[in-house]
Amino acid sequence: MNWKAVARSAIGTSHQKQGIGCQDYGDYRIFDDVIVGAVADGAGSAKHSDVGAKLAVETVLKCFSEINEFPQKQDSQPLSKEEAQKVFAEIVNKVITELQKQADEGDYAVNDLACTLLVFVANPDCIAAMQIGDGFIVMRSQESEYQLLFQPDKGEFINETTFITSTNALKEMQVKVITEKQEFISASTDGLEKVAIRLSDWQPFSPFFKPLEEYLHEPVNSEDEDKYLMEFLNSERLNSRTDDDKTLLLCLFDRE
Amino acid sequence: MAVGMPEFVENPENRCPVILLLDTSGSMSGQPIQELNRGLAAFKQDVLKDSQASLSVEVAIITFGPIVKLTQDFVTIDQFTPPTLEVDGRTPMGAAIEYALDFLENRKQTYKDNGILYYRPWVFLITDGAPNDSWESAAQRLRQAEAQSRLSFFAVGVKGADMNILKQISPPQRPPVRLDGLDFREMFVWLSASMKRVSSGKVGQAVALPSMGWGQITS
Repeated sequence: MNWKAVARSAIGTSHQKQGIGCQDYGDYRIFDDVIVGAVADGAGSAKHSDVGAKLAVETVLKCFSEINEFPQKQDSQPLSKEEAQKVFAEIVNKVITELQKQADEGDYAVNDLACTLLVFVANPDCIAAMQIGDGFIVMRSQESEYQLLFQPDKGEFINETTFITSTNALKEMQVKVITEKQEFISASTDGLEKVAIRLSDWQPFSPFFKPLEEYLHEPVNSEDEDKYLMEFLNSERLNSRTDDDKTLLLCLFDRE
Repeated sequence: MAVGMPEFVENPENRCPVILLLDTSGSMSGQPIQELNRGLAAFKQDVLKDSQASLSVEVAIITFGPIVKLTQDFVTIDQFTPPTLEVDGRTPMGAAIEYALDFLENRKQTYKDNGILYYRPWVFLITDGAPNDSWESAAQRLRQAEAQSRLSFFAVGVKGADMNILKQISPPQRPPVRLDGLDFREMFVWLSASMKRVSSGKVGQAVALPSMGWGQITS
């Protein structure tokens, strides 16, 4: 019984054309039976948003590493929503502090590092997650359907959302705790939104997620073996539907 | 076991609506209207070069002169047949603006009812004259809509246009632009390039528009 995970990003075709690098970042860390994942999407309008996205994800993972250095501090009880809210708020504040530091060093504004942020922490029986801005986390617990944890945060217009550097970031942060036996968790940036989620009723599209879940069940899918994912993320068929950067973070709890 | 590739949900593209509010009053007759017609064709051709934009950008045409008329309801560019506009009569610009504002809010409601996401709409006014109906309340509504970020308004004055009135209609932060001669083609290629940028814009992006090689801001 263990977690299996993989995280990959691919640059969007519009960014390629404009000669901009990938502004997405995603990564995860496994601590025994706990997995922590984070995904961030740098704002296109922010000058150093690629740096911001990476720093935000790394800061989140570092925070959880520190928590895990003191296992006695961990409670085996699932977090309540209020507790999760508190933990995530602390982490967001830590991320903002790190971004501010980075901005000071580089002598630019913290808004130049603007990015969205999605974080989840899960053990086999429970998942706590947060989201600021758009993108999506989809999970499937044992014997149930895929479910979307949060409706992406959009303004009236599609190209408006909240960023971690926005003044209302903590107010707009969505938090959820679900106590169910986990099978599959996926976190993505908004580049994959319209191909993975049915926007009319915000339902995850299972033909999108099923093959990805099956892929994780395959014996060889370690981080070194990423051909399948990269082929998918760079496929012409996918690029015909989205020209944005895309990040996929996939996790499976293998109960066999 | 071979694993299949993820399937894509049948899902509508995000929409990027633009209303062209075109002066077809008598004074536009002759070369101006011909150039305008050519410009519309150029607009279609240029947006079509971008496969994403051609499915996202939706255009509607409202003409004014002699009456306010919906010449083209919203269509995506791949479905758009550029019309051949004809001219006659007076310039009911105020009524045309009011019509456009209502029309746009209706369109947004249709998007919402169908779960379609959309970008901030553009209203692009082109005129060579001055309104000869009352335009003050239309201007006030328009400026208010801009201030509430419900749309972005651009006014373009062709030779003969009353730039002073256009300035009073336009939002303070985006003064009217005077078209160089009758270079509608360049202007529409610019519009196309701008819509392409907007329709591929990332979240929160304040899209930097291409520079206007075809006109000048009147201060």
